[in-house]
Formats: sequence, C-alpha cells, structure tokens
Amino acid sequence: MDWPLVIKSLLTLGGLGLLLGIILLLAALKLTVRVDEKEIAVRAVLPGANCGACGYPGCDGYARAVASGKAPLNSCTVGGPDVARRLGAIMGKEVSAGEPPVAVLICRGGRAEAGQRFQYQGAKDCRQAALLLGGPKACIYGCVGLGHCASVCPVQAITIGANGLPVIDEKRCIGCGLCVKECPKGTLRLIPRKKLVYLACVSHDRGKAVKDVCSVGCIACGLCVKVCPVGALQMEHNLPVMDFEKCIDCGICVHKCPTKSFLDRAQRRPKAVINDRCNGCGECVKVCLFKAIVSESESATPLAQSKSAGPRAQPGKQHKVIPDRCIGCGQCGKVCAPEAIDLVSTDSG
Amino acid sequence: MNRKTSRFSYFTAGIIKENPTLILMIGLCPTLATTVSARDGLGMAAAASFVLICSNVVVSAVRRLVPDSVRIPIFIIIISTFVTLIDYVMQAYQPALYRVLGVFVPLIVVNCIILGRAEAFAYHHGIIDSFLDGLGKSVGFALVLFIMASIRELVGNGTFFNQPVLPASYRNAPMLFALFPPGAFLLIGLLKALVNKTGLGKS
Amino acid sequence: MNHFSPAKIFLAAFLVNNILLMRFIGLCPFFGVSTALDTSVGMSAAVLFVMLLAAWVSWVLYHTLLLPLGLVFLRTAVFILVIAGLVQFVEMFLKKYVRALYSAMGIYLPLITTNCAILAVTFLNIDYQFNLLQATIFAVGTAAGFALVIILFAAIRERLADAPISPSFRGYPIAFVGAALVALAFLGFTALFGIS
Repeated sequence: MDWPLVIKSLLTLGGLGLLLGIILLLAALKLTVRVDEKEIAVRAVLPGANCGACGYPGCDGYARAVASGKAPLNSCTVGGPDVARRLGAIMGKEVSAGEPPVAVLICRGGRAEAGQRFQYQGAKDCRQAALLLGGPKACIYGCVGLGHCASVCPVQAITIGANGLPVIDEKRCIGCGLCVKECPKGTLRLIPRKKLVYLACVSHDRGKAVKDVCSVGCIACGLCVKVCPVGALQMEHNLPVMDFEKCIDCGICVHKCPTKSFLDRAQRRPKAVINDRCNGCGECVKVCLFKAIVSESESATPLAQSKSAGPRAQPGKQHKVIPDRCIGCGQCGKVCAPEAIDLVSTDSG
Repeated sequence: MNRKTSRFSYFTAGIIKENPTLILMIGLCPTLATTVSARDGLGMAAAASFVLICSNVVVSAVRRLVPDSVRIPIFIIIISTFVTLIDYVMQAYQPALYRVLGVFVPLIVVNCIILGRAEAFAYHHGIIDSFLDGLGKSVGFALVLFIMASIRELVGNGTFFNQPVLPASYRNAPMLFALFPPGAFLLIGLLKALVNKTGLGKS
Repeated sequence: MNHFSPAKIFLAAFLVNNILLMRFIGLCPFFGVSTALDTSVGMSAAVLFVMLLAAWVSWVLYHTLLLPLGLVFLRTAVFILVIAGLVQFVEMFLKKYVRALYSAMGIYLPLITTNCAILAVTFLNIDYQFNLLQATIFAVGTAAGFALVIILFAAIRERLADAPISPSFRGYPIAFVGAALVALAFLGFTALFGIS
C-alpha cells in the first residue's frame, strides 16, 4: 500500500475541494444580488404569460421595472385592470386601468375579392409563402391567409375564415400584439378598443393597378379625405392615414368609399330622428351627404330640385329623416339650432 | 401492490417503459459514438452500467448524510470515483476497448443517465430499490446500445462481433454510411420513430 | 511536443472534428436548446465562455499540480469538480456584475455543468499534449464549432416546426434525421485534413 500516494491524493483532492468550497462560500456572501421583496410580490401578481405586450422582456422584466418604479402600472394587457389594481396596491400608488387594444385585420381581400397570381405549394406558413415573390395573392401587399397569426395567438383568438382571411374574436383578443409582430405582411394592427372605423387596406398602389387585383382595395381616389367632417384623413403613399385623435367614428368614409375599403366595427349604428322642434331652416339638409333628410312639399322650387327620386326637402317645412338612407353620422344634429335632431339607437332590445 | 412487485417494477421499468435512451432521451452521446461495432457497444454499456449501479447504491446509502444544497457536487465526486476506477481497470484488462472508446470513458462521469438517476431516484429511495433501478436502466441502455451497434456493424461492415456474417460480395462494398456519424443519427432517428409509432413509451 | 499549427488546430476543432456532429459530444443540450434561434445563440455564448475558462483552469491545474505530484489518476474528479465550481462562480459573478450577459445566457449555465463538451475539451487538451496557447485555440475552435452547428440547426428546426410531418416522426426523430443530413455535409470536411 503506497501510503505516501494515498496521503498525497487525499490532501490534493481534499485541499482542492476545500479551496473550491471557500471560494464559492465567499462568492455567495459577496456576490449575492439583493432580491427586491417588492419585485417578488409584483412578479407573483403577474399572469406569467411572458407575451411582452408590456414592452418589457417577459413578466420578470416587467416585475423588475415596476419594483424599481420605472414602469407604468397598467402596462400588462393580459392581466388587465385587475392586475393593474393589485400592482397599485403593492406599490402604494393610484392606478388608472388602461383598456387593452384589440387586433384587427387591415386587409379585406379574401378569396372572393382578390385573386391569386400563382398556386402556392409549400409549407402552410405565411412567412414562407411571403418569401416567394411576396406571396400567391394577386395583391402583393395583402394578407397571405395561411394562418401564422392563428398559430401564434396565445389565447387562440384567431381562426382562418371561409374566405381565406383570419377572423379575430374580439372578445378573446387580449391585445398583446404578438400577431402584429409575427405577420410577415403587416396586415394586422392594434387599435384602441373604442375605435370603431378603420381602413382595411395596405396597398400602396392606386386606381387600376389596385382594381385589377382586388375588388375592395383602396384605389386612392381621395374621396374619404374630402368627405371627412373633421379632417381626420390624409393621403400618404396612396393610402388614407387616419388620425385617431380627430376621428369621431361617424362612419361617413365607410359609406362613401367606392371600393368599401373601410370597415366599421360597430354592430349597430343609430339613426337620426327629427322631432317637432324643427323650424324647417334646412341646415341639416345642407350637411347630409346621403340625402337622407326630406320634407313633404307640394311645389318644388328650382333650388330644391335634385336628381334623386322621392320627396324633396324644402326650407320652411317640418323635415324628416329617411331611415334607410341615414347612416347615423350625426352631422345633422351638430348644425341643428333648435336641437330638433336626436340619434336614436336601433337596438331592438 | 405489495412491496415485492413494486420493487421488481423498478427494474423492469428501465428496460422498455422508461428506457433511458429511447424514451427519456438521455445518454445520447455514447449511444451514437460508441456503437460502431457490437463489441464496442457492449463494452461501453458494461462500463456505464458498472458506474450507474455502483453510484446509485452509494448515493442511496449516504442520502441522509448529504445536505440538499451540496448534493450535486457530492454526486459528482461519487460518480467520478467509480469512473476513475473503471477507467484504470479497462486500461489494464481491455486496452483495445479502451483505445476505441477513447475520451468516452472519462465522459461517463457526465453521462446524463447516471447523474440523472442519482438526482431523480437514488437520492430519494432505499439501497435495494436504487440498485434495482440502476440495474434496470443499465439493461435498457445496454439493449439500445446493442441494437444500434449490431445494426451499424452489420450494415456498415457485414460483420457481427467481428465475425463475418454477410456474404463477401457485400463485405467488399458495405454501406459505410452506417459507420459514420450521419448513419448513427439516421438510425437513432428511425428507432425513435419506431418507438413513437408502436407507442412503447406511453404507459 | 506536437507540431500542429494554430490554424490547423482551429479548423480541425471547428469543422473537421466538429464536436457535435463528428465527435457526438454535447448532444443532450444540443437537441433540447436548438428549437429556437435565440436560445441557441444564448447557449453558444455560455458554452464559449465556460469552455475557455474551464480549459485554462484545468490545464493549469493539471500541469502545475497533478502531473508533478504524480496524481494523474485524479484528473477525472478534479476536472469535473473544477467545472462545476467554475460554473457556479461564473453564474453568481455575472448575476451581480454583468446583468446583461446574465439575462442573455444565465439560465444555460447550470445546464452546461453536465455538458460533455466542456469536459471533453479539458481531456482532449491533455491527450493531444497541447501547450496553453494551443489549448486556448482548441477550446475556442470547439466552441465555435458548437455554435455553428447549433445555430444552423435551430434555423432548420424552426422551419421543421411548420412542416407537415407524420406523427411518429415529430419531435426527436425528424430532428435526428435533420442532424444526419447536416452531419453528412460536415463529413465532407474530413477531406480537408484532421487530427483524429
């Protein structure tokens, strides 16, 4: 038995182990990061989806930012107002719960509206298809429709409809923005939940170039810009850009657009009703772009002559609204001095 | 279920249902690297089995003495002791095998199977159970190594345990692909697909 | 002593004897981490970091302590202990002083302790009788080879995730087949030259 060797190996290995142990002990003492108790409490409240909607790297990142006071308390769209309130309780601050945005598809060109340039045979993934000359759709800007957004949605709020376009279940959508980031075409966007009207087209072409490939694409005619009562629309690169601050969701652009490129999220629109305070001044008739206001009149004066069929509106007479023509934009009510016009909701109960 | 049956199930689990290589997907490195011939595959299996069983038993024996915070370094020390043992034993009694296995003998110490079983099983179970578990996993590991090595040697060399099996016409121009890394990857992929198809891993 | 030039050592470690595809070392974390590109990059960074440090410390310990004292047989235990301790220390150090690096690769550090590749490099440095400079080049080359393969593979696996694959092949089997094809490509490099 070679005792010197045994002693040597015992000492060496033992010594090495001891040394390592001491180094690690010192390291543990000197290098421990002081963990913020608040950060742990905040992190416990967060849903843990790690979706990144708050703008921070995962829930851990957001917890750290909140605990150090650098992040707003209502950034978690998944947790919503409930989490924001609990964060406020932990941090001892008042919190105004922000409503999460909702994702919408800004392309209306499905199988019925837009044709295909070629038949795509490959992996059923929008990103792959988009790499091939911009995708099989005739419009190179449009949604590919192979469902990558549906596969990344963390709450399964997106399905591909029969028309070959993604359908977003607004009740399930949490506004995390993942689909927006993942879409290779940029045909998804987040809009505030209370925003009702938006442009559903991303084509930067105009006129015939658009009409050739899609029946509902924006042809950049500029009509919407002209008819917008508040000037919320501005043409940029052949697309009307909507200023969400100015837009009042009146819906005029939706109806005036020749290619029906705007979409209205409202389930129902109210209708204008004129009561007996009407003094027949006729101001409402001037602003109504849909010729929906008329009055009974025996004699038609040249001024009131119009090309449309049906009764004509005349000043001095009680006016009334033709419900079928009224889109509920409310412009008439704004100019009615005796306040004789009300917007009445058409819910049947 | 009485203790006798449950004890034996620790052994049988490791062979098919919880086969380390094809079900648990651990211990892949030696499975692919050392299965060029049936003899080498079995040699590797024997060495790894020795270390696995011994370390399982020792870890189980000292489990109440080892505090939770330092258990991984302790496991590593125990395992490396047995690895060093088998390293020198093989050098002395099977030098040809040792030359073939090369760096994979000392690499047994980081074999996911051994550290994994120590952590997941031996630390929480008695000595006999840990022994049976180690034995079962060893048999399962050896089984896969043997199957892979046999196929690769047969297809890539036409021999089995260095005895010519396939006709000379094949052995003069064998599918060398099987002996090289791509062949190994392909074979284990097909084996895993087979396991998936037959649903062996699903209990 | 040996007569290998730095370029030869690097290229051999990087391509010809690629640690993952030719030596089969480091496969367990390889298949686990290569499912996404960002995790692969993080893992590669962690591997480079630890491999370099481990190569240095183990080489120094071997040549200054084990060899002179005739305790070569202790190398298995010493090397793996050093690696385990080193990884632990590096994790704590990064967490405190280089937070950005820690968030990028911190979670992979404990995984690396059992990464065969690190230990393999320490052993191979001894077997090939490298001096410290050669050992450094070998470690960097190996880590680079690891990074190359894992990142390449992550790109393949991201595409595989969307492909229509029959149920029994989904997951590991098709990943192995993919690895077989990439390994086939790397097999071509053996025609360059190599240290076996």
